[in-house]
Amino acid sequence: MTTDFITIAIPFQASVRELHQAIDQELRAFGEPLRWAITRVTSETVEIEAVVTRD
Amino acid sequence: MTRPYTVGLIVPTGIGAAIGGYAGDALPVARAIAQVADRLITHPNVLNGAQLYWNIPNALYVEGYGLDQFAAGHWGLLPERSNRIGLILDRGIEPDLQLRHLQVADAARATLGLNLTDYIVTDQPLNVTLKTAKSGATWGTIEYPDSLLRAADKLIHHAGADAIAVIARFPDDPESEALQNYRHGQGVDHLAGAEAVISHLIVRTFRVPCAHAPALSPLPLDPNLSPRSAAEELGYTFLPCVLVGLSRAPRLTEFPNPHAIWADEVDALVIPVSACGGSATLSLSQTKTRIIAVEENHTKIQVPSEALGIRSTIVKSYLEAIGVLICDRAGINAAALSAEIVSIQSQLLGT
Repeated sequence: MTTDFITIAIPFQASVRELHQAIDQELRAFGEPLRWAITRVTSETVEIEAVVTRD
Repeated sequence: MTRPYTVGLIVPTGIGAAIGGYAGDALPVARAIAQVADRLITHPNVLNGAQLYWNIPNALYVEGYGLDQFAAGHWGLLPERSNRIGLILDRGIEPDLQLRHLQVADAARATLGLNLTDYIVTDQPLNVTLKTAKSGATWGTIEYPDSLLRAADKLIHHAGADAIAVIARFPDDPESEALQNYRHGQGVDHLAGAEAVISHLIVRTFRVPCAHAPALSPLPLDPNLSPRSAAEELGYTFLPCVLVGLSRAPRLTEFPNPHAIWADEVDALVIPVSACGGSATLSLSQTKTRIIAVEENHTKIQVPSEALGIRSTIVKSYLEAIGVLICDRAGINAAALSAEIVSIQSQLLGT
């Protein structure tokens, strides 16, 4: 297993529920999300910093 | 009779929170909120003051990954009288520093009467790497996570540990600007992000309470040390608060249990207003939980509740937040305590 730090940006979502789901889905493209937080938000994009694990 | 009034208190770690971004310096906030709540759910970054700690009988000590799962409704919290704590020591810790930590464990057994299992040393050095991201938040990775998980597996399945305390060797960097700022009550805790990664790994894998204490060489005396950072310079380790916290940390369950606490029982969540972008906050904001966002506790990031579309009660200080909690608990509209009250005649709901 490795632990990797990543930063991603996704489009802003209309609802918190959709945003939460979109973050989880996008992070899973890089590995298993371990810890993440939104660190920047605009009306168009949301930036997320995260550590994911990969086997 | 009403159900227990339950409050969550989150101060995200590693983002330079003005209150709670240093050495357990949100603990007074937790103690105060615990006086107006039946149950307080909070996390190690709030309650851990290295050598200092405080037993809050109605507080639940929940590690961040567990807190995220709890808030999402995936896990429940089972209050516990006593946990057997297993101790993991990183193989990268020098013998003298290792002995210091084992002596803390002995002291916790002899002086506090805590229950500890046998301890274990990881089969490889964990090799922690620290990182400060573009946002200013601190993160970290470890080179050998499997070694950490093998050690936890042995403690849980062979030594009978209910909770895991991890001591990893962190890089010493006494001359760094980040450390100097931290010691002076400014900037970001440069260890915090990596600490969270370590405990998250164990909680995610084994679903047991876990917390971390970094092993570091003692620092030279600094006459300008900030009161907010001082708790970490009283001794040789950061371990006592971790052992105390874990000794009564709630167990984590995926299954229905009449004694378990679930996310739908959280009446209010108190968070810094600029740090609303964590998983637990996003989850609870989708429930009936009242989100109370505190302006005074500024951080290095700017993710306010309104920018994410989270409905929240914004207050200036924790003192004001406690007033809101008291009103909420009593079923009083806090607006009624103000001089000006808007007439209902101006509030006709459209049909």
